[in-house]
Amino acid sequence: MEKGKEAFEPKHYSIGSDILFFVRFYRQQEPMVLAFCGTEILLSALLPLFLIYLPKLTVDLVEGRAGMERLFLALGGFTVLLMLLDGLKSAVSAGKYNLYNTQRGNLLGLFFLKSLRIRYEYAESGSVRKLYGKALNTVDGGDWCASSRMVTETCGLLINILSFFLYSTVIGSLSLGVLAVLLALSVVNYLLSMSHIRYEESLREENALANKHYYCVQNAMGDMGAAKDIRIFGMQHWLLGLRDVALKELDGVTLKSRRRNSFYEKIGYLLSAGRDLGAYAWLLYQTAGGKLSAGEFVLYFGAVTGFSGFVTGIMGSLAALRGAANGTDYTRAYLDLPEEDLSSGTRHIEELRFPPEIEFRNVCFSYKNGEENDEQGTGEKEIFHDLNLTIRSGERIALVGVNGAGKTTFVKLLCGIYEPDAGQILINGIDRNEFPRTEVYQLFSAIFQEQMILPFTVGENLALKRADEVDEKRAWAALERAGLKETFQDRKIGIKTYMTKTMMEDGVELSGGQQQRFLLARALYKDAPVLVLDEPTAALDPIAESEVYEQYDRYSSGKTAVFISHRLASTRFSDRIVLIENGRILETGTHEELMRAGGVYAEMFEIQSSYYREGADEDEH
Amino acid sequence: MNTDLTGKLPLREHVGNIRKVLKFVRSMDKNYFRIVCVTHVLDIGVPYVELLLSAYILDAIGAHRSFREMMTVVFCCIAVILAMRFVASTIRNRMEVRRQHMYYLYSGVVQARMLNMDFSRIDSPEVKKLKDRIRVDNNWGAGVNSVIWNGNNILYHLLDMVGAVVLGAPVVVYLIRSGSVAAWLMLAGVLVLSAWSLRMQVRFKKLTDAYRYTELKTVEEKEDGFSFCWPFAFGDGFSYKNGKDIRIYGSYELMKRWTTEVLRHKGFRSLLLKGAWGDAGDSFFGSMAYSAVNGASYLIVAIIALAGTITVGNVIRFAGCLSRLLHSLKGLIDNLTYLALAARKQLSTLALIGLEDEMYKGKLPVEKRRDNKYQIEFRNVSFRYPGSERYALKNFSLKLTIGEKLAIVGMNGSGKTTMIKLLCRLYDPEEGEILLNGVDIRKFRQDEYSRLFSVVFQDYKLFPFRLAENVAVDLDYDGGYVKKCLEDADFGERLSCLEKGIHTWLYKDYDDSGVEISGGEAQKVAIARAIYKDAPFILLDEPTAALDPIAEYEIYTNFDRIVGTKTAIYISHRLSSCRFCEKIAVFHEGELAQLGSHEELLADREGKYFQLWSAQARYYRDNGIEVAGVRC
Repeated sequence: MEKGKEAFEPKHYSIGSDILFFVRFYRQQEPMVLAFCGTEILLSALLPLFLIYLPKLTVDLVEGRAGMERLFLALGGFTVLLMLLDGLKSAVSAGKYNLYNTQRGNLLGLFFLKSLRIRYEYAESGSVRKLYGKALNTVDGGDWCASSRMVTETCGLLINILSFFLYSTVIGSLSLGVLAVLLALSVVNYLLSMSHIRYEESLREENALANKHYYCVQNAMGDMGAAKDIRIFGMQHWLLGLRDVALKELDGVTLKSRRRNSFYEKIGYLLSAGRDLGAYAWLLYQTAGGKLSAGEFVLYFGAVTGFSGFVTGIMGSLAALRGAANGTDYTRAYLDLPEEDLSSGTRHIEELRFPPEIEFRNVCFSYKNGEENDEQGTGEKEIFHDLNLTIRSGERIALVGVNGAGKTTFVKLLCGIYEPDAGQILINGIDRNEFPRTEVYQLFSAIFQEQMILPFTVGENLALKRADEVDEKRAWAALERAGLKETFQDRKIGIKTYMTKTMMEDGVELSGGQQQRFLLARALYKDAPVLVLDEPTAALDPIAESEVYEQYDRYSSGKTAVFISHRLASTRFSDRIVLIENGRILETGTHEELMRAGGVYAEMFEIQSSYYREGADEDEH
Repeated sequence: MNTDLTGKLPLREHVGNIRKVLKFVRSMDKNYFRIVCVTHVLDIGVPYVELLLSAYILDAIGAHRSFREMMTVVFCCIAVILAMRFVASTIRNRMEVRRQHMYYLYSGVVQARMLNMDFSRIDSPEVKKLKDRIRVDNNWGAGVNSVIWNGNNILYHLLDMVGAVVLGAPVVVYLIRSGSVAAWLMLAGVLVLSAWSLRMQVRFKKLTDAYRYTELKTVEEKEDGFSFCWPFAFGDGFSYKNGKDIRIYGSYELMKRWTTEVLRHKGFRSLLLKGAWGDAGDSFFGSMAYSAVNGASYLIVAIIALAGTITVGNVIRFAGCLSRLLHSLKGLIDNLTYLALAARKQLSTLALIGLEDEMYKGKLPVEKRRDNKYQIEFRNVSFRYPGSERYALKNFSLKLTIGEKLAIVGMNGSGKTTMIKLLCRLYDPEEGEILLNGVDIRKFRQDEYSRLFSVVFQDYKLFPFRLAENVAVDLDYDGGYVKKCLEDADFGERLSCLEKGIHTWLYKDYDDSGVEISGGEAQKVAIARAIYKDAPFILLDEPTAALDPIAEYEIYTNFDRIVGTKTAIYISHRLSSCRFCEKIAVFHEGELAQLGSHEELLADREGKYFQLWSAQARYYRDNGIEVAGVRC
């Protein structure tokens, strides 16, 4: 399996490629969006032409002294046509909104599922998590998110381009000279838009920073977890002060942007004033010469004044698309990440004798720059160098060591969540990579430090499978063995009862001790041949803690097992203690052996037990 | 509060809501709407000048006026338009800054309110419900922005109607004079059509509302329609670290079932299509009526013109005015409806802001004593958390002796942290009282009373701002003292490695140059913060659960040194941490079960302390040293 710890810098795609990406995406996920967009583009380009014909038609009819009947037929018919087309255009334009807006959620779901499909090692690495965050951002932010803007701005772009050509044809039929002047004016508009957009883009970073600052302060103010500290230390004044600083920063950016906006608006006004003046002069001159009727005058004047909007519109859409395309790059980069190879392998675990023996042979492992997301910080950090350890079939190991010694990393390597940089991990003497990864995962019942209770049913939480795959009998049996059956029956909790309050208001919430047992029940339900427990008792009081240990002790018999705990008490249930420090196995042996050796383990044990001993000593006096 | 946003309200109530909300906007920016009106007048003026110009030109062409004369008028009009646009642009862009400011201010208004709400309130079901409500209410582009937006539109349409009436009024005379039944019929027809399409719009909007605001109620509905795409992706109820379990337990399909798969469920789809269909229908009728008004305006004026009384120019002018009048009328009605809805959606926010404090706010100043002689006494205190039946503390009495170090031990949920919260007056007791030098603490000014305590909670919190600010909890601080406190908290070594020293940003949330610090280091900063405050009471609430025994031991011994002669309370699960305390209080089920020195407590073999102690001690028995507890 490829290791690939390099940083994931997203590839840069062209706007066209991004548009095509989303066309494909919507065709797959919600084809109606495309149908709606197509209709909208066509009608939106045609309708303004109809609208500038309306005054001309009226003027012609009035000037021509048409009869009532003709007036009704012509204007009435025109109006009805307009009503239907305009109605249809608006219907598709508005109707598509909910359809593409919902796809934001779908995309989020796809990102989320993707994060479960790539190797965990990637998923947790700093660079991929950053990429994940950026991918998520592209669908956050409501209608301003990339996936929505790609839809609206692509429509806008095509409408403006189409209109540009249609208007050009109308004006070209009047005079190629006028068209040439207008095109020249468009070039000026183009340059102005470019320079305005560039300015806005230069502000973007400043703006994003000010936003980040403001929302950071806002999050701090609204942090319920900090409410106690805020009150006792009287932080209100500080936080509101920080907020005002951030607000000032935001106002500053807005003011800059708005000042410049006003400047460009005014140049635009000047240009259109010039254009109108020229248009009047030219058209009036033509009309005075008898070359144009009053009706045609109205039509052409409408066409000329309507013309300038398109180039600005095209430029605006392109700028917006460029912004959205940036986001799209992250979307695509994340969805393109290579997925974990779960199925290839030549051996199968059915061939193995259980409980298995697991051997670490010359295993090296290090976190690369910024990979490790725990508190320890950044920089390459070697965790294991030439680690050798054999966990014999059915053996129970207690892994001890200070914080940061590498215990949790060891567990991740053991379960196949991490892959060693060098060296091998063997199962019953066979290289682990010869088995399909799904089968390797099947070997382990693991309880990790980060307890996961999902807002689904008890059954789904126990089996961690879809509700229709949950075996109720087995679930009850697991609950019973974990000592939860009675509690659940007393509280009328069934396999189909929902947990946590996230989805169901009356969802079940468990106390710390119960939750611990529930996780044990999950491991029991799976009943895998290897049991792994990573620090399960940190938050428990002494009595609950000792109960948990006793349970683990009971259910680990007949299995290969690995326990991790700060509290050396766990060592009592183990056949062997392995003490790691700085990624090396410093001491290994039974409790008695290690105490006799008088090394690091003995020292740790001393510190922890001194209190109880002292107490005992005095108690004896 | 009524949670149904789509239900009917009497008009009076709508008006009341709108006034409340506008008052709120005024509280953020007093003159906003007044100044915006100026830009509206200028903005509206432009199309009317253009309309008048077109009308003049058409008539001038018919009358064969000279090119020069026409161009003079054109030039003047264009100059006027340009001037109006310039002024409008300047003011409008300035006002945008102010609108944006309000938007940001508003977006944090809930958080700002949370800062000074009674602590007992912030977690209450009432406030939680309000906050949920606010989230729903501010969805779909609502929020104060929509109030401002709709308010602006209403002002615009009102002024536009004034313009249309003033410039288009003569058409009424012509209409009457023409005596054309057809014209009257057309006018009536277009009004009826508009009214009908407005009704159709309302009908379709209901579909959209059904999509937006339908709450999934039954279990079946939720199973079918509840998608976790959003919460899970953003780490709500799922941490990326849980990905380990998903892989080991092979749970990909389960996660898919609750995320993307839901979007394909029948219930979800039918609701979504309702939303799409609702929006489409709403817009269809809206635009259709708009075009009808447009066409009919020209038709009506053309019919009048047929009677021979108005010029071509006036046809354009009146048709323009008529069409603007009708559009504005419709726009006004639309925006009033939207404003009523937007105002209604702000009620939850206003309710939260206006929530009155429940706790009694005393006015007595706390006497400042250099000798720190503050005596605290709990007298028969009972307390239940809001919404809970169970007593977290029951008939609890305890006297804290000045300068004493007290350890508190007990099982999870025995009331240890609750006692600290009551002591700091985060909550008030239900029964009994807490006295400071003999006076009920409720009688003191809260801010002064809070100054007596430095607390490091179990879940202490640091913020992603400057290190020094975190210690001093203020924008202004005494740098030297901050440094000294950090050193006292054993953070000095790390501090000396920081390039920007005490001005370093903590974490990277606010500033990219920030540094990540480990849990142990964060703890030290939290302790430095407690030292900086220099309060007469120091309370330490089990901040070491995640640390290994050696690190824990160091923190406690270090803290002991810092505390000096102050009154201190330590809470810990690990009994070994209490060893340097003179007195130990054992909590059990909300009551003070035992109080005494370690030796005294251990002597009582029936007592809770002995039980707790032996649960931990027995793992250390066969250490070659037989302890007394084992032999029993």
